[in-house]
Order: sequence, then C-alpha cells, then structure tokens
Amino acid sequence: MASKSNRAVMEPEAAEKPAPPARHSPELLLGLYRMLVKCRMCDEKARILFRQGKYKGNFYSGVGQEATEVGTAFRLRPDDWVAPSHRDWTANIIKGAPLKFCFAQLFAKVTSPDRGRSSPAHMGFPELHVITPASSIAAQLNIGTGVALGIKKLRQDAVVVAYFGDGATSFGGFHEALNFAGVHKLPIIYVNQNNLWAESVPLRLQTALTNLSDRAKAYGFPGYSLDGNDILGVYEAAQTAIARARAGDGPTFLECKTYRWYGHSEIDPAKYRSKEEVEAWKKRDPLAMFEKHLMEKKLLTEVKKKEIADETTREINEAVEFAEQSPYPEASELAEHIWAASAKGGN
Amino acid sequence: MLEAINEALSQEMERDERVFILGEDIGLSGGVFKVTEGLLDKFGEERVLDTPLAEGIIIAAAIGSAMMGLRPVPEIQFADFITPAVDQIIQQASKLRYRSAGGYSCPITIRVCCGAGGGSGLYHSQENATWFVHEPGLKVVMPSTAYDAKGMLLAAIRDPDPVIFFEHKSLYRQAKGEVPEGDYTVPIGPAVVRREGGDLTILTYGFMTQKSLDAAEQMSQRGVECEVVEIRTLAPIDKETILNSVRKTSKCLIVHEDKKTMGYGAELSAILNEEAFDDLDGPILRVTGPDVPAIPFSPNLDKAWQVNTEKILAGIEKLAAY
Repeated sequence: MASKSNRAVMEPEAAEKPAPPARHSPELLLGLYRMLVKCRMCDEKARILFRQGKYKGNFYSGVGQEATEVGTAFRLRPDDWVAPSHRDWTANIIKGAPLKFCFAQLFAKVTSPDRGRSSPAHMGFPELHVITPASSIAAQLNIGTGVALGIKKLRQDAVVVAYFGDGATSFGGFHEALNFAGVHKLPIIYVNQNNLWAESVPLRLQTALTNLSDRAKAYGFPGYSLDGNDILGVYEAAQTAIARARAGDGPTFLECKTYRWYGHSEIDPAKYRSKEEVEAWKKRDPLAMFEKHLMEKKLLTEVKKKEIADETTREINEAVEFAEQSPYPEASELAEHIWAASAKGGN
Repeated sequence: MLEAINEALSQEMERDERVFILGEDIGLSGGVFKVTEGLLDKFGEERVLDTPLAEGIIIAAAIGSAMMGLRPVPEIQFADFITPAVDQIIQQASKLRYRSAGGYSCPITIRVCCGAGGGSGLYHSQENATWFVHEPGLKVVMPSTAYDAKGMLLAAIRDPDPVIFFEHKSLYRQAKGEVPEGDYTVPIGPAVVRREGGDLTILTYGFMTQKSLDAAEQMSQRGVECEVVEIRTLAPIDKETILNSVRKTSKCLIVHEDKKTMGYGAELSAILNEEAFDDLDGPILRVTGPDVPAIPFSPNLDKAWQVNTEKILAGIEKLAAY
C-alpha cells in the first residue's frame, strides 16, 4: 500500500537543513544519546507492560521517532514549555519528569501528576511546564500558541515546543494556531512529526504537498523539512529555531520526516502498511544511526553502551515498582478539582 | 447595561494589569454594539487585541495565556458564532483543572453577545447558553440588570475558573439603572428573588426577567401574586433559592427564551421533581422559545417566535388554575 511518494521522503538528501553542522561537545552528544536510549527503553517497557495486562486503556508508542522529541526538547530551560501530542509521553521524561511518575501515569495511580485522571497518552506535568494534552486533534497547538502569547505578554524569553503528527496538519485548528502565531511573532516552535500515517490514512490522502513545511510560508514564518531520524540535524535546526523564538523573531515550523515502528496504538496491528516499508524504516533507526556515529567518533564503546543500558534498566525497574506499589486514587476523589476549591459547585 | 460592561472592563484593566481583552472588531471599531469602545485608546494594542476571524484560536489564546497567570477576557461577537470555539471551551477550558488535578487552571471570562432582538435573523439571534451548562468545570452567567452586569463581570474576571458571561443584546440598551462608579462585585452563584409573592414561582433569567416581572404585575391586579426568581448564574445552579421559593408557593412556572427541548427548564423541572415533589400543588410548566432551529428573519415569523408577556400570562393563568 505504500505509495511512491511515501518512499521519496525517506531519502535524507531530500531534507534541507537551516544551519550548517556545528561542532558539539562529547558531553552534549552523550547526553543526547543517553536520552534517546532512555526514551526508547521506557517506551518499549510501556508496551510490554500493556501487553502483560499491567494497565488498562491503551498506549501510543513513539518508537522510531524519538529523535524528533529528544532533538527538540533536550536541555530546554525549566521555564520553557512543551505541548505534547498523544504520542509524546516521553516528552515528559525529556523535560525532566522522574520516571516513577511517568510509570505511575501508565498505571493510573494516585502518585501520577494528575492523580490518575488522564490516560498515558495525556500525561502532562505542570511543575515542569508540560501541557496536559487532550485527544482533540491539534488542540495542543492551539493551547501551546496561547501559552506563547502569555510568554510574550509577560515579556519572558521562554519558548514553547509543540508536537503534532502529519494528521493534525489537516485540522482547522492547526491553521488558526499557526496563523495567529505568525501574526504576533510568538515564541513557539512547531515540531511536526511526519510519520507518513495518520492512524491508517496515508499522507497522500492528507495533503497534496510533498513537504509539510511548505505550509509555514502561508503563515509568514520559516519552515524546514528535516530527516527526523537524524538527531543532530534535528537538534541543530531546533537550536536555531529556539534562538529565533527567544530573540522575539517568531515561530518556526520544523517538519521532521520520521516513522512510527508500531501501530497507531497497541491495539492496532497496522496491517495497512507493507512489511517492506516498515523494515526499510527500521534500517534507519535513529538510535542505531546515532550509536554508529558515536562509535565511529570513538565517543561510545560496547562497554559504555551496556553500562548506559543497564543503568537505564535499573532506573526503569525502580520506577515500575514504585508505580505498581502506589495506590489508586480513592473513589471519593471523583468530583474533586472540577472548580477551584473555593468555588461552590456541583448539581 | 452596555456602559456598565464597558466600565467594568475598563476599571478592571486599570486595577489589574494581567487583564486583557481580545476578539473580533473589539479594538478599532469598539465592538459591534460599542461595548468595548474607547478601550483601545486607553489601553493600547497590547491589551485590546483585534483578532483574526477564528473563534477557536481566540479562546485557545485566552486559555493558554490564562495558564501563564494572565486574566484574558475574550469576546465571542455573537453566540451564533461560538460553535468553532466549542472544542476549546468544552474539551480544554472546562476540563483543564480536572484533568491536571488542579495543576493547571483556566481563569478566563468569555463574553458572549446573545439572544433575540432587532430582527437579525437566524445567525445573530441565538442564545445557546444551555449548551455550556451541561459541562461541569464551566460557570455560566447571564445578568439582566446593569448593576449585576458590572458586578458579575468583575466577579467573573476575578474568578479562578472559566466563566461564560452571556450578554443579552436586547438588554444592552433596555436595561437601565443606577450603577455605582466604584468597585463592587455581585457573586457568581446566588439567584435573586426579584419579586415576592405567595401564589406561584416564576423561575427565569436574562431578557425574560423583566417580561416575567411585567406579567407578574399584571396578574397582581387580578389577585394572583407571583414570586419571580432570577437565576443569574445558570451553572453552578443555586438550588437553595429555587427550592425555598417553590416550597413556599407550591407552584412553578419556568420561563426562558431559548428552545424548549432539553432546555434549561428541563433541568429545573427535574430538580424540582427530585427535591420538591411533595411540595408541589400543580404541574411544573414551561413557557419557552419554540423548538424551531433559530429565529427566522421575516418580522412576522420573528414575532411568532418571541416569548412575550402575553405568552407568560397564559402560562401563569394555566398554572394558577390548579
């Protein structure tokens, strides 16, 4: 079912880069690597736990597209904001959420930031400036744009990084948000994770465009199409965009062409995609490609790699244990936090 | 009432620099009904924002900046145009506090011009307030006097939760009355007994308040004393005042301009059925706008649609006979 146009965007040379490659410190490169590993391993663990029946609902894996998140949210400042979509549970981790709270969210426990109200797809973290997402498509772009307006009005130099898939670009709210941000030169970076499939609908039925970044022209700010599996390319483009936003020069649209390895969610076998397509993309695994790069630069060894993996496994196991042992919220909490505590409400 | 709202906005923007207004045609033109006239000159473009014609982002921009600690007051030019913003209001604003267990809040006040009047036809006459009453997390208010309009708007802007502030366009110029110059609030929540009477209770709100009072005066001359309760806050509802009145009079007529089926009166009736059944001496009756999609343009059709004093009188007579 894969169309030719879908394959065309796999070619990394088709992607433009807004800035020339920079020299990065080993510390930064290893930091990016550790975070990629952490996101990959947490996501895979979340999938396993779901399949083991450890929690109900669903999980929306982002495996395969981690570089789009890590490359853009890595080392954001505490006062910066992230507006995740349903597939960006790991954005909480990159923004600094302790793993135990992330797994508590999966398990819907009272120890999660929202005391078990939202499913894992809708995890937010107010203290860390991660906006609590909703299922309404593109909604995080609209709310994120509002937060960017607030930042501008308060004369802060924080930025908002907002995530969304290719499917969200068809929604009216997407247009309203980007148009508004363009008018007011808001400090927001729109990170489009174009994974070629909006649930089961291929890109060719979403848009007549080859590059979704072309849309940025219509809103009066720059847009770039990137190889979303090349973490350094994404990181560099994001740094340029963040600097631009902080300087008050307005939004940037970053289309990160990538691929989700698994179905839309854990209950979707994704039979609409060909095996060849999936395998071709798995060969362009963002983690493996970066690992190879670091090995070649002699910044990573097999020993070091195992050490990082073991350390992450330990951390995840502790987090899962915390989550499993945490209680569910009491039924008496059902009607709490509808209005402010001072408000009289309820019929 | 128009001046009262303008004064409330102006005074609150002066008092609290976190407050800003945004919406279609509110700045340069001062609003379709001139409610926001003069505010652009006084506060500048940064705090009086003429927005693109896109209700979704008007509300989303307000929600996001409220999350940052600001106090936005977005305007929806006509209640008929609120539908593109419903996703933001219902899926975001009403649920933000709940879904983050109090981590985020959404102190926005959405001003909405609504209601019949002026023969403006299908798309400039709808009320639509009841849509939002169904959503816990929202507060829905509709004042009927100039005094309440100013006091409740100030209370709404200072409220920690999202408030939808409905302004009936017919009241902009018809609702006249003394409005104190200074700062005061009329709390969101309590209903008010506008007229005391022992024979039956009229529960009403908005533009229908004065029409119900007019009908009550006429019935008084015929020996029937109606108690008129104005429900200024539609959600959360003040059950106590309503129940106290109905328990006293034992009869209840509900009057509203919006459509009948699943309208506000249906909920009021259900509450009375659940909580005051033993006190009732007659059926709970409703006088409402008809179940017609919207108010038609032609003057005679518009007139046929209107809830007027005659229709209210007929309702009172029917109920008083029990």
